[in-house]
Amino acid sequence: MREFFVPTRINWLHRANPAVKLPLFILLFGVTVLTHRIDASFYLACVFLALLFLASGYPLWKTALLASGFALAFASASLTMILFGKGSEVWWSLGPISISKESFYRGLHLGFRSIAFGCQGLLFVLTTSSTGLFYALMQRLKLSPKYAYSFMASLRLMPMALDELRIRRDALSVRGAGRGSSASLLRLPELYALPLLAQSIRRAQRTAVAMEVKRFDAGSRRTYYYSSPITRNDGAAFLVLAGAAAAALLLAHLLPLFALGDMRMNP
Amino acid sequence: MRSTVEANVPVPVLKDAAKPGQPADKEPAQTQDRVGPSREEEEGTAEYAAEVRNLRMKFPGTPDLLFRDLSLNIRRGEKVLLLGPSGCGKSTLLQVLGGVIPRVTEVPLKAELLQVPDSAGLVFQDPDTQFCMPYVDEELAFVLENLAVPAEDMRPRIGQALRQVGLELPDPHVPIGSLSQGMKQRLALASVLLLEPDVLLLDEPSALLDPEGRRTIWDAVRRAAGERTVIIVEHRIEEVLDWVDRVVLFRGDGSILADGQAAEVFARCRDRMREYGIWHPEAWNEAYGEPAGEAALAQPGAYRAGGVLEPEEAAAPGTGPARGRSAAAPVHPAAESAAALPLLRLENFRVLRGGKSVCAVQSAAVLPGDLIALTGPNGAGKSSLLLGLMGLLAHEGSCEYAGSRPSGRRAMREAAAKHAAFVFQNPEFQFVTNRVLDEVAFTLRSEAESALNASHSGAFARWFPRRRPRPDAGAEALIAAQASACLDRFGLGGYAERHPYLLSLGQKRRLSVASAIVSDKPLVLLDEPTFGQDARNAFAILDLCERLRASGHAVLMITHEMEIAERLATQIWKIEDGALISAESTGRSPTAALRLSKEEPS
Amino acid sequence: MSANRTEAASRRRGLTLTDVLVTVVVSLVLGVVYHLWASVSSIAGLLFIQSDELVYGMWFAASTLAFLLIRKPGVALIAEIAAAHLEIAFGSAYGIQLLLYSVVQGLAAELVFAAFRYRNTSAVAAGLAGVAAAAGSLLADIYYGYVTEYATWLILFKYSLRAVSSFVIAGYLMYGLAKLLERAGVTQSLRPVERKEYDALDG
Repeated sequence: MREFFVPTRINWLHRANPAVKLPLFILLFGVTVLTHRIDASFYLACVFLALLFLASGYPLWKTALLASGFALAFASASLTMILFGKGSEVWWSLGPISISKESFYRGLHLGFRSIAFGCQGLLFVLTTSSTGLFYALMQRLKLSPKYAYSFMASLRLMPMALDELRIRRDALSVRGAGRGSSASLLRLPELYALPLLAQSIRRAQRTAVAMEVKRFDAGSRRTYYYSSPITRNDGAAFLVLAGAAAAALLLAHLLPLFALGDMRMNP
Repeated sequence: MRSTVEANVPVPVLKDAAKPGQPADKEPAQTQDRVGPSREEEEGTAEYAAEVRNLRMKFPGTPDLLFRDLSLNIRRGEKVLLLGPSGCGKSTLLQVLGGVIPRVTEVPLKAELLQVPDSAGLVFQDPDTQFCMPYVDEELAFVLENLAVPAEDMRPRIGQALRQVGLELPDPHVPIGSLSQGMKQRLALASVLLLEPDVLLLDEPSALLDPEGRRTIWDAVRRAAGERTVIIVEHRIEEVLDWVDRVVLFRGDGSILADGQAAEVFARCRDRMREYGIWHPEAWNEAYGEPAGEAALAQPGAYRAGGVLEPEEAAAPGTGPARGRSAAAPVHPAAESAAALPLLRLENFRVLRGGKSVCAVQSAAVLPGDLIALTGPNGAGKSSLLLGLMGLLAHEGSCEYAGSRPSGRRAMREAAAKHAAFVFQNPEFQFVTNRVLDEVAFTLRSEAESALNASHSGAFARWFPRRRPRPDAGAEALIAAQASACLDRFGLGGYAERHPYLLSLGQKRRLSVASAIVSDKPLVLLDEPTFGQDARNAFAILDLCERLRASGHAVLMITHEMEIAERLATQIWKIEDGALISAESTGRSPTAALRLSKEEPS
Repeated sequence: MSANRTEAASRRRGLTLTDVLVTVVVSLVLGVVYHLWASVSSIAGLLFIQSDELVYGMWFAASTLAFLLIRKPGVALIAEIAAAHLEIAFGSAYGIQLLLYSVVQGLAAELVFAAFRYRNTSAVAAGLAGVAAAAGSLLADIYYGYVTEYATWLILFKYSLRAVSSFVIAGYLMYGLAKLLERAGVTQSLRPVERKEYDALDG
């Protein structure tokens, strides 16, 4: 699983300092969430989708596989709004369903935005290693090592939890538990959660003790194996990301496809 | 020097001295009749690496004290082994001596004096819970970061620490997950060595390792220890026996039974060690007598008469399987003699995981009365084979359960459910209820339900199951009675109301076996049943397997313990690189009489 | 020893490394179980419109369970953030907004526990924290998904389902799970040691 998330090509975005990149991406999120025009959200989705494929450093098929999740995100963001949104210019209605022009475009707008969010998020994840991120947060943004190391340790514990989930499924199958009636479907979370939680909590406790035995003390001064410098790559990351957002907004202004107003009001 | 205290007349046991109501602090520490310590006390405590005086300790929520006025001191440079039965508190004491309790973990304790080393390095039992980083170099760097070592000095020190424990990696940036368990323990040792500790504390570092891993970790410890004080808690003493200076033997109640030179304590307390389930070099011989002659073992397939090698008490000829073959017939699993119908027969059988073969078996058979040791390196495909046999993984080729050949995974699962019981390595994953008695009753109830279901089966019933039919009140009473009889048989009768998770390690294992075999399936599959168990529990499990075998069941167990293979198995299956490379008879016949360990009380 | 004890106690009043690590792991396991359960119960999603809201409370379960186990300020928030962190780290298509949602939801749950001064560990308190988290998610939805533009009946329907689900799953279900873990002896070592345990040493 860990091997899956190793990029094949390293570029300026991978080399940028995560402590710069994270605020940049949160800023991008802010820009996107404040976008209320469908043209802007459409171009944002297009531009960041292109950037994702160009700059993630992953083979095309892997990026495409991960990006396929956007289809679901698009549907879940847009469908409810399209079918059940408010609107005056009704195109079609049946029972509770009412598709109006406003709700239709508002739904599409939400779908485009969710693709833009997804692309930005994935771009960040694929170009940032967890270790790098937490080292940067500790050194640059004064995150307490207590949290940083707990989060890093949890990534190590994830595959173990998945293994145990598989073992538990086999064991339940052998013992003939959790099959059949619908009552057992409701017992399912308990049947899985109890042994997995018990194991994982004990494991977490032991890991924490082992860490403290090795003189981990969140309060005291520490050095860092990986340094977290600010470099030219950070400038490049800023310019490209800001440029991409600006380009999308500019395109929306110059080449509007829908030419509709603010999606929150009735356009 | 130190003498053992067991036989001494003035009772040195502090527990007896501290009657309820008697203030603890008035208790004279001198009652302990140990020549060494009292003399040294006058010389001051500077030469002690760690010292506790009148330690009292208690785990929250438990009624009894773990230690009552325990005193112990460890001199600098000493190599001390703490021994005792499971649950006597020796690991907890190690954490006290290492300064973990109460600094890191809060456990109520008080002591007249508690002197712990300034720098201690502690290696724990479980190879998977000592690391917080994904890569070897990062994990070691974590320790150096804690010590505020400048970043540029880290790489050389990481390399040095790895060399110290014999873990030569060309590039230390290797995922920890790719190391074997034994290598992980050496990495844990390397990481505490970076602390440059005065005292090295080892909490059963080899308990969860295979024989190869055990050897290498103790080699590494010996090499790395040097002049350091070393305190070891271990249940398996063969590797440390000739190395430690001093042994402290605890009773089950946490008091000290004996404390003295290693050889002396071993000589005096041999019986106690056996009672406490401590693995010592003679454990197997004591349990089963001297091993069979090399000549007999060297000829796979050669038949030895059933009774010849039995220890004196074992013979119980009446319990042998009725379907036994003639005494002179050669035992060869593949070319089955006509007498016994195989319980399981594999031909060109391949277990698949994600479409790829992970374990291939050309040809093999399991007969009633077989006890098969399934051996091979970790990751070779042993567990996958068992999962495949249970229909939990897909398979190709032929697998016959008692003559019928299920096709497809679903049919396989149903056939396996009818003919085989499976015991997983970690018992907790197998528990489905919140009460010990219910665990066993659950199996019986499912059996009864599937028997009821079978009476109106068919395609319709399969796709549209009714509410699962419930056994009536009479059947329920029978199930409860059967279940508690089964618990009694497994020595769990007194724990029927307890939560399964609150049992001890050995009890959990026994419960998992009990709940699997209570329904009396002819074939029992076990995944490393004696792994990590103390000698007492291990022999109890083996006796159980042996009883099953002698009563005409077949037992197929994964094990790294060659003693099991050599002393009890009728066949040894070796798996390497995803294939069964040999399935040889050991010469012990499926009709051989019962061979029990001497651990069994009755 | 009493001086020793207070020193140890003060060190443990805040969140220790163990507390944080256990919290993170609790959300990890619930996340894993949730994904399994969601795939099993995905048929439920086809029952009626918005019926997936019926299992929405599972998203807040980690924060209430972690609080019920550890009973310290801050764990509810950390559990939510940890859940989002894992989702994001393993390539979720929803990206960074999960992190911002988790902060809003975690803070909302935290507020409820704080209103009870972190002393109430009942199923109702946990349920209310779940409902608060659901309210937090509504707040985020308004910005993120324009939900105020839904037909009014749908807004009411969707968010009352979510509130009920949160109350039941994050409240009662997690309370039950915490009790089970208690019975199984897992929680004992997670909680501060009571005074009487020290007194018992003198017995």
